[in-house]
Amino acid sequence: MPIETTDIARLAQILENSGVDTIEIEEPGLTLKLVVDTRPRIAASASPAAATAPAADHFVTAKADVAGHFRAAHPWQDKPFVAPGQRIEAGAMLGLVKIGLLYAPVVAPTAGIVDAVIAENGAMVGYGTPIVRILPHAPSNPLN
Amino acid sequence: MIEILSVTGPASIQDLGRFDQYRFGVGTSGAMDDVALRAGNILLGNDENAAAVEIPMMPFRVRFDRNIAFALTGAAVAAEIAGRAIPPWWRSYARAGDILNIKAMSHGARSYLAVSGGIDVPMVLGSRSTQFRGEFGGLHGRPLRVGDILPCAASTAAIGELGIEPAGITLARPNAAADETIVRVIVAGEYDAFDATAQDLFWSSSWTITPQSNRYGYRLQGPAVKPKEPVEKRSHGIVPGVIQMPPNGQPIIQMRDAQTSGGYPKIATVIGADLWRVGQARLGGKLRFEQTAYSDALAAEDEMSAYLDRLRANMRLVEETRTCR
Repeated sequence: MPIETTDIARLAQILENSGVDTIEIEEPGLTLKLVVDTRPRIAASASPAAATAPAADHFVTAKADVAGHFRAAHPWQDKPFVAPGQRIEAGAMLGLVKIGLLYAPVVAPTAGIVDAVIAENGAMVGYGTPIVRILPHAPSNPLN
Repeated sequence: MIEILSVTGPASIQDLGRFDQYRFGVGTSGAMDDVALRAGNILLGNDENAAAVEIPMMPFRVRFDRNIAFALTGAAVAAEIAGRAIPPWWRSYARAGDILNIKAMSHGARSYLAVSGGIDVPMVLGSRSTQFRGEFGGLHGRPLRVGDILPCAASTAAIGELGIEPAGITLARPNAAADETIVRVIVAGEYDAFDATAQDLFWSSSWTITPQSNRYGYRLQGPAVKPKEPVEKRSHGIVPGVIQMPPNGQPIIQMRDAQTSGGYPKIATVIGADLWRVGQARLGGKLRFEQTAYSDALAAEDEMSAYLDRLRANMRLVEETRTCR
């Protein structure tokens, strides 16, 4: 299958989102190597990251473990698997990643409350792409 | 083993069917939605002819007595295993004692519960399908009852949850309305016994599926479509999919438990690739017939095969990735 320019752009996006810095694809007659520049950017460092960092630490992120298209709801069901504010158990299904005709589940790594569905419905996601942000149940601070 | 805790309609054990006994007058039986049965078996790595439970009405509840992988395909159902929701066309895993609860069916008419290794009832005349008319095959040749114990093949190692795209999405017909199923048919032997007006009425009508519709056949209701003059024929061989026109002008579509012969004039025959769509059409729903050429019927068959081939290829890829890890 030939690699299109749009595929490369998408792959680069996946690499950046997942924190992977290099990928090499080899096919007969074709080698593609992508390297993401991970050096800190001057402009980005201007924002005070420290102010938001502690809050972000409380969250656990459910990630995709395969590459494909994210589906917030099953195509036969109107309601998405989860919505912000919803209480979930560990192992709960949060969404699907569609690869060809297969639907792989995205599963909650921990019990808690859904803070946000980060991935956009229909978006291309890859291994490690954040899908759902969860505020876990803290043992010291039981929510129920 | 699986124990039936609750069953509403005539649920039965079905494989793809009994194909070698037709000449002796033994009908095929087999899953009304063979695509869904194959898909469930593909999801589990089973032989595609492995027997599953065909469930036409909800609620339906079973308890598993061992750790076993299972799959639900066919109609869109709201189902839970041990309290966890399962999406449609899904493979999941039950632990000994877990209860599978299929609560409601939002669209489609039959759900299929396949288990790893298949439902292990004896083969009768080359098939495990229940033959209601002859009262053999399946479990004691009858619909399932509360308290029935279905034998399963050996327990399986834990297997990941996984879904597949329902056939109804991949093979969606372009002009299908929500509550109307468009069925492609080829004209049959006695089509010319009907004049142009009667033929037009057959094509243009939206036919209601009456409550007298089941695995034997679907009786439809609409304007009376009558031949130019009464057609009297001796009983002759018919197959599932044949659309007969009895004297009252209300069509009957022969389905999987059809008799192997009949004498009513045949106006058309549902193509093989659309028979599962009829099997998933609900009582009270509408059917419309679309005339198709033989070559287009073969093309539709190819399209259906291509869907199943892609499923098999995608599943192989998943198995290979698992062994690589």
